[in-house]
Amino acid sequence: MSSEGVVLTSEARQTLDGTLLVRHRLEEQYADLEQQHETAAFGMWVFLATEVMFFGVLFLGVEAYHYMYPEAFEAASEKLNWVIGGINTLVLLLSSLTAVLAVHYSKLGDRRRVMICLGVTALLGVVFLCFKGLEYYDDYVDKLIPGWSFDDSEWVREEGLKPVQVPHVKLFLLFYWIMTGLHGLHVIIGIVAMLVMLELARRKHFSPTYYSPIDVTALYWHFVDIVWIFLLPTLYLMGTHK
Amino acid sequence: MSEHIMPASVYVLIFAILVALTLLTVGVSFIPLAGVWHVVVGMGIALIKGSLVVLFFMHAVHSPKITWLVIGAAVVWLMILLVLTLADYMTRGLIPHLPGH
Repeated sequence: MSSEGVVLTSEARQTLDGTLLVRHRLEEQYADLEQQHETAAFGMWVFLATEVMFFGVLFLGVEAYHYMYPEAFEAASEKLNWVIGGINTLVLLLSSLTAVLAVHYSKLGDRRRVMICLGVTALLGVVFLCFKGLEYYDDYVDKLIPGWSFDDSEWVREEGLKPVQVPHVKLFLLFYWIMTGLHGLHVIIGIVAMLVMLELARRKHFSPTYYSPIDVTALYWHFVDIVWIFLLPTLYLMGTHK
Repeated sequence: MSEHIMPASVYVLIFAILVALTLLTVGVSFIPLAGVWHVVVGMGIALIKGSLVVLFFMHAVHSPKITWLVIGAAVVWLMILLVLTLADYMTRGLIPHLPGH
């Protein structure tokens, strides 16, 4: 669909841009738009499958060590702020709803609603990160950062753990920081991708027959949501019954 | 994919179920359950929520077979990782420690 080398007046260009031909945006290696769309989605699904392994091994680590050191892990989990963790779950679920609605309205060609949904999704991602920052600050104050803000003797004195169990507490907290940190990084990437889609939608880049980038970005966003769905019980709700 | 357009109300319904399941998983976590059951219930509810997101929000229900192949491959490899590793860690205590070994 490149128009390089073709000299067009701005008026002729504007007319051409309005035609269905240009709006289709079919790359030449594909037979039709449906095949192009399926290929794009397939690529994202394969990437997400590798992400399943990436996060899966961390979840496995938490559960295996939880089995070995249940007391220390549950005592450490109890210190985490499950209220913020729970609110953030709802924030991400709502953002998934707006992400899927962005795809929905792309199919219907409702550009205004697509832009609203993309914008709200990115905004909810920012809200998530704000709560996350609040929580991280609380963790700093509560001395839950091994190597920086952490007091070994407090766990022995107040939680009744044996000195030998304190490294297990640190192990849990390391999992907590690495997993929430990596998830946060994914949210940041997702926000940037959503904003890029918002700008493209503003430039009338999409049509009811061509919306693969929005669909693929939404797939990524839903995956990030799913990771958090599993993080909530794994990290935050492990010790609440104590 | 493009030919299937679900009504927006389906997405809102799925969202409502996901919120309800979130409240359920938080509620259940406060009930005293024996040992490993918290992990089983928590992960079970998370699995239901994750499946709803994959099926409806990610449109897996209307996706071509090749998408299901990728989903299946991801699940199978994850199961290899989880089952084989936990089968090791969770059975180590079953064999009594023999002095000298």
